[in-house]
Amino acid sequence: MEWVAAVTAGSMAGLGIWMMLDQHLIRVVLGITVFSNAVNLGVLAAGRHVGEAPAFIAPGVDAAALVNPLPQALVLTAIVIGFALFVFALSILKRTYELHGKNDTDQVTAVVEQPAPDGQENGVEQGGTLDVDERDPSAGERE
Amino acid sequence: MQLSLLAIALNGLCAPLLWRILPRQALWLLALVPAGCFAWFVSVIPLVAGGEVLTSSVAWVPLLDVTFTLRLDGLALLFALLITGIGALIVLYSGGYLSGHPHLGRFYAYLLIFMLGMLGLVLADDMMVMFVFWELTSISSYLLISFENTRPEARRAALQALLITAGGGLALLAGFVLLGIAGQNWQFSGLDAAVVQGSTLFPWIMALVLIGCFTKSAQVPFHIWLPNAMNAPTPVSAYLHSATMVKAGIYLLARLNPTLGGGVTWSSILIGIGALTALVGAVLAIRQYDLKRMLAYTTVTVLGQLTMLIGTNTNYGLQAFVLYLVAHSLYKGALFMAIGAVDHATGTRDLRRLGGLFAVMPFTGVAVGLAAFSNAGLPPFFGFIAKEFKYSGLIELGAIGWAVTIVMILTNALLFAAAGLIFIRAFLGRRPQYPTAPHEVSPFMWLGALLLAIGGLGLGIWNHWPEAWLVNTAVLAISTGPVDVHLYLWGGITPAVIASVLTMALGVLFYLQADRVRWLANQLDRFWRVSGDILWDGFLVRVFQLAGAVAGNFQHGSLRAHVALLATVLSLSMLGGLWLIQAPLLPAEPLTPLTLPGIVGALLALGGAAGAALKSGRLALVASLAASGLGLALFYLSVSAPDVALTQLMVETLTVVFLAVVLRRMPGLPSVASGSGRNRRWQAIAACTVGVAVTLMIMATVSQPLPGNIADWLIDNSLPGGHGMNVVNVILVDFRALDTLGETLVVALAALATSTLLGAGQAADVRPKGLPEFGSVLLRQGMRPLAGIMLAVSLMILWRGHNYPGGGFIGGLVAATGFALLILTFGRGIQRGLGRVPPTLIIALGVACAGGAGLGAILLGEPYMTSQWVAPFGVKLGTPLLFDLGVFLTVFGSVAHMLRNLVGRAS
Repeated sequence: MEWVAAVTAGSMAGLGIWMMLDQHLIRVVLGITVFSNAVNLGVLAAGRHVGEAPAFIAPGVDAAALVNPLPQALVLTAIVIGFALFVFALSILKRTYELHGKNDTDQVTAVVEQPAPDGQENGVEQGGTLDVDERDPSAGERE
Repeated sequence: MQLSLLAIALNGLCAPLLWRILPRQALWLLALVPAGCFAWFVSVIPLVAGGEVLTSSVAWVPLLDVTFTLRLDGLALLFALLITGIGALIVLYSGGYLSGHPHLGRFYAYLLIFMLGMLGLVLADDMMVMFVFWELTSISSYLLISFENTRPEARRAALQALLITAGGGLALLAGFVLLGIAGQNWQFSGLDAAVVQGSTLFPWIMALVLIGCFTKSAQVPFHIWLPNAMNAPTPVSAYLHSATMVKAGIYLLARLNPTLGGGVTWSSILIGIGALTALVGAVLAIRQYDLKRMLAYTTVTVLGQLTMLIGTNTNYGLQAFVLYLVAHSLYKGALFMAIGAVDHATGTRDLRRLGGLFAVMPFTGVAVGLAAFSNAGLPPFFGFIAKEFKYSGLIELGAIGWAVTIVMILTNALLFAAAGLIFIRAFLGRRPQYPTAPHEVSPFMWLGALLLAIGGLGLGIWNHWPEAWLVNTAVLAISTGPVDVHLYLWGGITPAVIASVLTMALGVLFYLQADRVRWLANQLDRFWRVSGDILWDGFLVRVFQLAGAVAGNFQHGSLRAHVALLATVLSLSMLGGLWLIQAPLLPAEPLTPLTLPGIVGALLALGGAAGAALKSGRLALVASLAASGLGLALFYLSVSAPDVALTQLMVETLTVVFLAVVLRRMPGLPSVASGSGRNRRWQAIAACTVGVAVTLMIMATVSQPLPGNIADWLIDNSLPGGHGMNVVNVILVDFRALDTLGETLVVALAALATSTLLGAGQAADVRPKGLPEFGSVLLRQGMRPLAGIMLAVSLMILWRGHNYPGGGFIGGLVAATGFALLILTFGRGIQRGLGRVPPTLIIALGVACAGGAGLGAILLGEPYMTSQWVAPFGVKLGTPLLFDLGVFLTVFGSVAHMLRNLVGRAS
């Protein structure tokens, strides 16, 4: 079973990355979900699937026959967090479409991206004003 | 000692409030605390002078060996007296100087916080504690210099000072860390010179510590910030930038002199840089007409001389250092305060426009006169004694000493001339026209200056007093061997006296020829052209350019490029790791057998994912993704993980709902084949690499035997310790409850962020109208009872989750699914049922429940989140149940909140 999980998780991770590299924002959002599903599956597989019975303990139950509960607990919360992240990505998708009417990542970048606030031109300009206006007062006393 | 720090901190924090409530009395009340501290430090003088060292220690970060250790020896006491004594006077002075200023309360807060930082700095024995206080002084200095923040010069000066001193602070931190490693000790008092100096790290330690000290104490070439810092209100210049903060670097040099000093390198650097600083400062000072700037440059000179004196490392040198330090703090503080008073009274501090003030400002005049005499080093003032010792200390050094002495004589003569200019030009002679009618200032403003100036005179005349009580122990603290201090005004005709006479003669000459000296200094025109400030601006421009270039290259804004980089790094590190550990890919122990549901589930998951990756219709996308999730749920079920399967199932249901809600307003995707072939190829290569890497990684992992026995522990303790049969749930709400709390918080935050992103606060579409697709009457009638049933089921899932499949997460998701049905049918404005309770309130309740569930344990003296159980009427109730309820509410509220926002906004 572990091999099946490994191949499935690996293929889904590859598909997820492939989708995230897509130009289209909808596909990117879906890719996030596929990728996080793959990772969840991988984490669960890493805990081995040894054990016949689910992790429910009661007096008289053979503890050795139970599966490893720890990765299950980890994955359970991870699924919910992954879902919250997915909805967040969806709302970004919706907002982007509302604002720009496009869902192509590169085009949206071109529309939205401002030059970095501390970018090159800015720095020169700022330094320039400093140079002229706020020079050492003693420099002015020479005259 | 700790009490004094605490009192000043409280004083500073309360200052704005106090000033607002009692604007008149606040002044006295605020000065009371530093004055009280001063009195306490005075009261321990006999103890310290008797050779005792007061210490107190509280563990602060025990894991890192950081203790909040305070240590009061001679040097610290000397500084503490200056800080609290001058501090109290400055608080009074600022009341007069800034009276009526709208932000005076804020000013007091900054000033007192600075006092806290400075006092902590000199008292701290632990390097890390001292560093924290050191940074506190830098930051409060920044706030104080930019106090008049509407002036661009003030802002620039403040930033410059902060960048230079805090940059030096970083070097100092690195130096401290290396020093602590080399010395095997984090207390100054525990450092062993032989160990530290024998270490290979020693050159680095010395260089880094020196950079820290030199930036703080404005040594060449870092001196440029100090004159600009004169943009601060005058009380700040008097206190921070002459009497105390700039001496922090000097203090640290002195403190570390026994540890780092003694070698030739240390001495030559200190003497060389010190002498250069003194010379540059003096030459620059004599050029100024602005009295405040002139004083600032003389401060630079004095700081250079002090550095030089530590470098001598001789008996006389160190004594001179201590004497000069005190003398300078007294007279420079007094001069600054008096100049501020003159500025206040006449509206100018330009030397060319001042004169004849003595008649109108007698008290200030006396203060300036006394301070200027001390500054000039005339007997019988304290400054004279300090100067004598300075010369003696230097002459002891031999040939180099003589060379440095000549620099000293020259700079002292320039200081002498500057002192003369300040007193004689401004206060004697003819009285010119002033911008405002000159008048004596309020007692607050001349009292401090006068007291300090008289102190300088008194300490000089009754010089046995400081000798016996202060200087001796302070010198002991910074030198290596025993010393005996004997202060005198007249010690016979010694080389020092000759040097002194020479200084005075030169000083008088410079004063009489002041204009010519100034003209000569101005002839060094080329030098001023490259002077520090302009270089600094050029440097800043370069820094901005570099930052812009780096940011531009990494923050290019292309999502695809970011993901590609991430994917490459991810897969390469996984493959590299696998290659490094040479892990076998074949299992050592037999694997679990294949089952049909597992294989079907895996195939479904894979096929669904492939569909989502390749299909282009919206419906196909939603269906593929759902199929993928359902397949996963089936797989989870087949490997005995029912809780995970249930969660996946509910999440998948909600995913479909959310996706459908969003996608129905959007156009479909273009077909997958679009886009350039080359890009597609790279995309496929990156994806395949990641896929192969992840597959190999998991295979390699499961081929190893599972290390540890955490699982056994969890299973064994679930029932006896956690009172639950469902081990997974017990892990979530009990064993790892704190983790779960963090995870639910993430969900809540995502929900809040989603609503912000979708423009919460804007007018939303609140009409009680559902989606048109749900317009059927039958459906609408059926929905309500169905949603009610789902809510009831969800509560049951929550309740039984501790023993059977279920729990807060699954229950919350089921309830949210019910709510989704309601929202889709009736719109976000449903007036009945849960629609009236805002989801944010539910989230808040949930977080409060989950977080509060662990508080009971604290009351019982156990660690946070330790579970507590009671069993009334045979029903076992425990804090984990409350915690699970919190999880339930948070998850439900979050999903409901997100759904309302996604559905209800008008596009």
